[in-house]
Amino acid sequence: MNSLNKIFALILISMIGFGCNKKLDVKPQQNITPEQITNGDDVKAVLFGAYSLLQGPNAFGEQFFLASDLLANTNHVSFAGTFIDYRDLTRKTQISTNAIATGMWASSYSIINIANTVIEKANLVDEDERDAVVAEAKFIRGIVYFELVKYFGLPYSKGNVTSNLAVPLVTEPVYAYDASKHNPIRATVDAVYKQVVSDLNAAVADLPDLGPNFRAGKYSALAFLAKVYMNMLNYSGAATAANQVIDGDFSLNFNFFSAFNNANNTNEDIFAIQQTSQSNSGTTNNGINTFYAAYTLQPPLISGRGDVQASPNYPSIFQPTDARGDFFYNGANIAGVGGLYTGKWQQFYKAIPIIRLSDMFLIRGEANYRLAGAPIGGVSPLDDINTVRERAGASTLLIITSADAFVDERFREFGFEGDRLWTLKRTKKAVGTLAYDDPKLVLPIPQREMDVNKNLIQNFPY
Amino acid sequence: MTKLYGLLTGLVMFLCQDLSAQTKEVTGKVVSAVDSSALADVTVKVKNSQINTVTDADGTFRLTVPANATTIVFSYVGFSEVELPISDLMSVSMNPGKGALNEVVVVGYGTASKRELTGSIAKVAGTEVANLPFQSFEAAIQGKAPGVVIESGSGKVGQAMKVRIRGTSSISASSQPLYVVDGLPVVSNSVSDGTNDPTNPLVDINPNDIESIEVLKDAAASAIYGARAANGVILITTKKGKLGKKTQIELNLSNTFSEPTRKRKFMDARQYLELVREAGTNDGKIDFAEGINGYPTEQEAIDDYVNSYEGYLSGNFALGTDYKNYEVNTDWQDQLYRKNATSQQVDLSATGGSDKTRFYVSGFYNKQDAIVINNTFTRYGGRLNLDHKATDKLTIGLNLALNRSQLDRISNDNAFSTPGQLVAQLPMSPLLDPATGELNGQTLYGNALFDAKYNSDEQVTFRSLGNAFADLKILPSLSFRSELGADVLNLYQESFSGKQTIDGAGIGRATAITTSSASLNTNNFFTFTPNINDNHKLTSIIGMSYLQNDTKQSTTQGEGYPTDAVKNLSGATDITFGTSTNNRYTFLSYFLRANYSFLDKYLLSVSARADGSSRFGENNRYGWFPAASLGWIISEENFLKNVGFLSYLKLRASYGLTGNAEIGQNNFLGLYGVSNYPGLPGFVPTQLPNDDLKWEKTAQFDAGIEFGFFKSRLTGEVDYYQKNTSDLLLNVNIPTSTGFASVLRNLGTMYNKGVELSLNSRNFDGEFKWSTSFNIAYNVNKVQDIDGQVITNGVQRAIEGEPIGVFFLQEFAGVDPANGDALYYDSTGKTTSNYSQAQRRAIGQSNPDFTGGFGNTFSYKGFDLNIFFTFVQGNKIFNQAGIYMESGLGNGFDNQTTRYLDRWKNPGDITDVPRTGFSFGTNDRSSSFWLHDGSYIRLRNATLGYTLPSKVSSLLKLSSARLYVSGNNLWTATKYEGDPEVNTATLGNITGGVDFYTIPQARTISLGLNVKF
Repeated sequence: MNSLNKIFALILISMIGFGCNKKLDVKPQQNITPEQITNGDDVKAVLFGAYSLLQGPNAFGEQFFLASDLLANTNHVSFAGTFIDYRDLTRKTQISTNAIATGMWASSYSIINIANTVIEKANLVDEDERDAVVAEAKFIRGIVYFELVKYFGLPYSKGNVTSNLAVPLVTEPVYAYDASKHNPIRATVDAVYKQVVSDLNAAVADLPDLGPNFRAGKYSALAFLAKVYMNMLNYSGAATAANQVIDGDFSLNFNFFSAFNNANNTNEDIFAIQQTSQSNSGTTNNGINTFYAAYTLQPPLISGRGDVQASPNYPSIFQPTDARGDFFYNGANIAGVGGLYTGKWQQFYKAIPIIRLSDMFLIRGEANYRLAGAPIGGVSPLDDINTVRERAGASTLLIITSADAFVDERFREFGFEGDRLWTLKRTKKAVGTLAYDDPKLVLPIPQREMDVNKNLIQNFPY
Repeated sequence: MTKLYGLLTGLVMFLCQDLSAQTKEVTGKVVSAVDSSALADVTVKVKNSQINTVTDADGTFRLTVPANATTIVFSYVGFSEVELPISDLMSVSMNPGKGALNEVVVVGYGTASKRELTGSIAKVAGTEVANLPFQSFEAAIQGKAPGVVIESGSGKVGQAMKVRIRGTSSISASSQPLYVVDGLPVVSNSVSDGTNDPTNPLVDINPNDIESIEVLKDAAASAIYGARAANGVILITTKKGKLGKKTQIELNLSNTFSEPTRKRKFMDARQYLELVREAGTNDGKIDFAEGINGYPTEQEAIDDYVNSYEGYLSGNFALGTDYKNYEVNTDWQDQLYRKNATSQQVDLSATGGSDKTRFYVSGFYNKQDAIVINNTFTRYGGRLNLDHKATDKLTIGLNLALNRSQLDRISNDNAFSTPGQLVAQLPMSPLLDPATGELNGQTLYGNALFDAKYNSDEQVTFRSLGNAFADLKILPSLSFRSELGADVLNLYQESFSGKQTIDGAGIGRATAITTSSASLNTNNFFTFTPNINDNHKLTSIIGMSYLQNDTKQSTTQGEGYPTDAVKNLSGATDITFGTSTNNRYTFLSYFLRANYSFLDKYLLSVSARADGSSRFGENNRYGWFPAASLGWIISEENFLKNVGFLSYLKLRASYGLTGNAEIGQNNFLGLYGVSNYPGLPGFVPTQLPNDDLKWEKTAQFDAGIEFGFFKSRLTGEVDYYQKNTSDLLLNVNIPTSTGFASVLRNLGTMYNKGVELSLNSRNFDGEFKWSTSFNIAYNVNKVQDIDGQVITNGVQRAIEGEPIGVFFLQEFAGVDPANGDALYYDSTGKTTSNYSQAQRRAIGQSNPDFTGGFGNTFSYKGFDLNIFFTFVQGNKIFNQAGIYMESGLGNGFDNQTTRYLDRWKNPGDITDVPRTGFSFGTNDRSSSFWLHDGSYIRLRNATLGYTLPSKVSSLLKLSSARLYVSGNNLWTATKYEGDPEVNTATLGNITGGVDFYTIPQARTISLGLNVKF
């Protein structure tokens, strides 16, 4: 008996011994923990993570420009799909739980948190790269705040920028949630624009001219700065920045068509989002191509949902010789509704141009025209607008009678590229039947955000 | 740790004391009352002592008992306990113990007599799940165990089932119970394609191998499973052989025919065209009245709208047929069901044993066609349960099951490609293109029949469940059992979408998924039954268990197929996605339990388990789950002994703590995931840390009465329970301005309380036998405190003060007789046609108040008849597809249900169905218009059997032969217009009771034959 007891005592000890080893310490195998970010390469990997979110459907992969085009849809786009949140934007009947507003808000702050993390951890990066890494993070933070301030605040052109509310300004990374620190108030339109300008200027100072692998470079930052200044009605700043970009190593493609559906950036792209079949903004229910490409079963084209169609009136704004007026095809959406489709987003897995060189010509031209002095860059506004028109095959203008020439040209050049709403807002032009500052052209602060952060004030009239 | 060892060693030493007294010897034989066959392994025990033995292969026993012993108790799993006064040569006959109060039930790490239990356990015998045309054993126990609510979700086969024991007790973590097969916790959650519905790994258990199913409901019964027991535990015990029994071979054959229980009614071509024209008329009138397009006259507006709608539909979809005279009138709903859905089942088993070895061996083949096209489940496999008495003290054994199953799947309910969505197509759309004779490719939505024809989605699972054990009797009062088991599941899934299909997007797409899940489990425990004296009885266990699961999964996707002929990934020109993941979790646990009884009428039980898991950080790695319970068999008291009609009465109460840790891996850590932007591999923060994350706790109180009247011809049980769940594992929303949407925290409280009643009666016991069973359970759930959060999932919510999953919707208030607009209640209680003014409110729950079952069994001579009903009451079903199929064209030209035949047509019409309209639709947003009472009563199963007289069967050299016909879901009473047993979000805690083009349950008829050799 005694020997048996000993055997079982031994078994017991070995059983208990299980607890003393590390069986309960299981490390994640497809993720890393924050402690594993230990060197410059790790920090750069986090920076690259931000590009992945920029590519997502809640950012430049779709909604950053689709949402604004739906809001400004008059004679431009129509929504033929069954998704109610998109349809609401088109009808301006969006409510505070609108998934697109919620998605853009959440995704933007995820990107901002990455940028803040990279800036905070920059001391892990080698000194010779450190400034450029910080500058790139600030570029990303700046362009995302630019989208947020446009969507969630009244336009800068409305004035009262130091009292109109935009979005919370978060510039510190969040490593663990602390309710006392992490329920920020909304900053003013002015404060957010100042942050955007400051971030982009820092990026201009420390980024290389062109980023490797189509990453942001100095010119990307300058191009955004030009757009920011236009919104702020700072025309000399805009013209100066645009002029610097035009003086860089970019050129308009020979064909208008060839600016789109390219595997990577063309000479015309100052900043673009890359897509491949392995890494893209979506193929079934989201992503820019999913919405804009018609439902087709004609190989080798990949079928989209075809939910966003061109308004039948839109092609009528082009001259017959204008290639931009021919860049359409007929099709139907997944629910069988026939219509006209833009060629800009017909092919999946292609680079998504965010800023093209023609934008810089039109900004420099418009800003110089509005400044009405000696043109910055030494090129006349007429020559700038004609540069863009000639490439498209439209007739050259002989004279510019008003700044509206640029507004109209932008509509022709940047249809379906998310420009229309912001151009109308900064020029105080009506959006269909709504005034440029109509509150329904400003998105609601997401209801889920209002529910958790009691320091937020909702936009009127949501 | 040294302390524990000291304690255990002390315990072991204590056992070695010699116990001696005056003795005498008793011998005898135990047989089954059914067929007089010898029963081996019956426990033979002196009452109120620990002196016991088991019967040999021939049913005989020999036991040395104290001179003063008076009574011997015979007990055997599946049979009623028998107590007899001691005589020298005892002849004992035991009855199978169905429903009897003193039957033996399986408990965690052991067995117990039902009579001495102080916890709440529902037992379902294997005979109640065998040979029934259900997809898996859980479906067969629906309605049989009070408080156990089982939802099949749909009529698809191989799908996961929602099982709730005493209500939903978690919000963010799983609320599914723990399943333990022969002591081995098994993988029961879906490891399949995450983009389709979850599948059910429990289908790999052959129902015909099951000896019994025990559902551990209260804390007294389940706390021994500690951290995984808060949702209840289901113990499955498979069949064993019998020592010394002639080998018996059993063959079952059955063939089943299935059809849908309930179809919806959709409009035909004439009704639909009238609807479209009326929509044009209504829209034209509105346009003219509001001056939208400036028509000069109302008639012109009407004509323009009618022509435009009719022209669009006929021009695109009539394909040149004479739609005006309804030349084509396609019933698209018919296309989604099989013309002839059949299932076959073949089982062959053998059971028996020598004097030292016993075995059960079985093999089966089963193929089930779902009622919906392209959905088939095929499985085959075998089981070997073997044990061997190596010495008087040592028994070793093995339970091993191997299975292969294949599931041919269809898309989930929310895909255009599912056959379920074919009902949206227009009756004017021909099935075949008249020009080509081929399948019609010009339909309102992509024609899912192309997907049905050219797509395939095949999932093959290999499953081995194995458990080896050794049982050592160290002393008469002390034994040690060690179990080592493995649950290995390998799944390989290949899906292909052809070039012509919706999902194939014109280029052809395919996905391959492999999953390998391997669980290793060991249980090691001592059972200690010291002989104190006749008045005191103690049974105790102490032990440990370790569980480790590794799940590895890889997914590869490709597209760009030159042809539909090559369906695997070798045909893809572009591999678009590839990933592999590895996940491990571990549980290390120590447990003990002591059952004490005094004078056989005062019962006390305590148990405790300490669980450690890799799912929590170092701050809270271990949890502690104690439970205590009391019982009082009042009928043993002198003051009740003479009450003639009362044969048994027991009161019991328990209180204890159980836990829930079903949250997946690494949830307490801060995490970064890997991102794959072209050329820039990176990290993206995905999760904030919570170092203090710990178990979700459920404290449960249970009080029960068990009774037997009229010599136990009427027996029953009533339980009241209250389950308070606290420290809910909750995904707590935080401001997304942090860059994160939520953190998993222990926050909040929720309760379930309810009453359960079960009654069993033997009405006639003679040649004509009739017995009745009835059970009903009532459960109330309330979310008490979730820090004021609103957790929304679709139209359902978790909000404080309401039951989980309450429907939170705009309330439909009828139709404005003046213009046919849908009306809603606004915040002041007035009606409005402005949807944005409509007030959302809690408007009904998806979980029923009452559930239960009611059955009668009759037998006379060779005939047996079993009729079993189930019912649920008090739940709502939301037809989420209503905004498309039942909204008067407001959300598109989908064909509509016949509910819209009652629509408003002219000013002054009083109806509750709004007008039709396409451009100016109404009733096109979610509201209670589509929320219905989901209560039902259903004839779940009826079986009529005939057993050949033994004279005939012996002539055929058979020991028995039975023919039967069995039907499922033969009759249903419900107010719901579709099938009431549907739930598109199969396993949700918040979501439930949502119908979204969901496939209804099957009505089946089976013919079967059962032969024993």
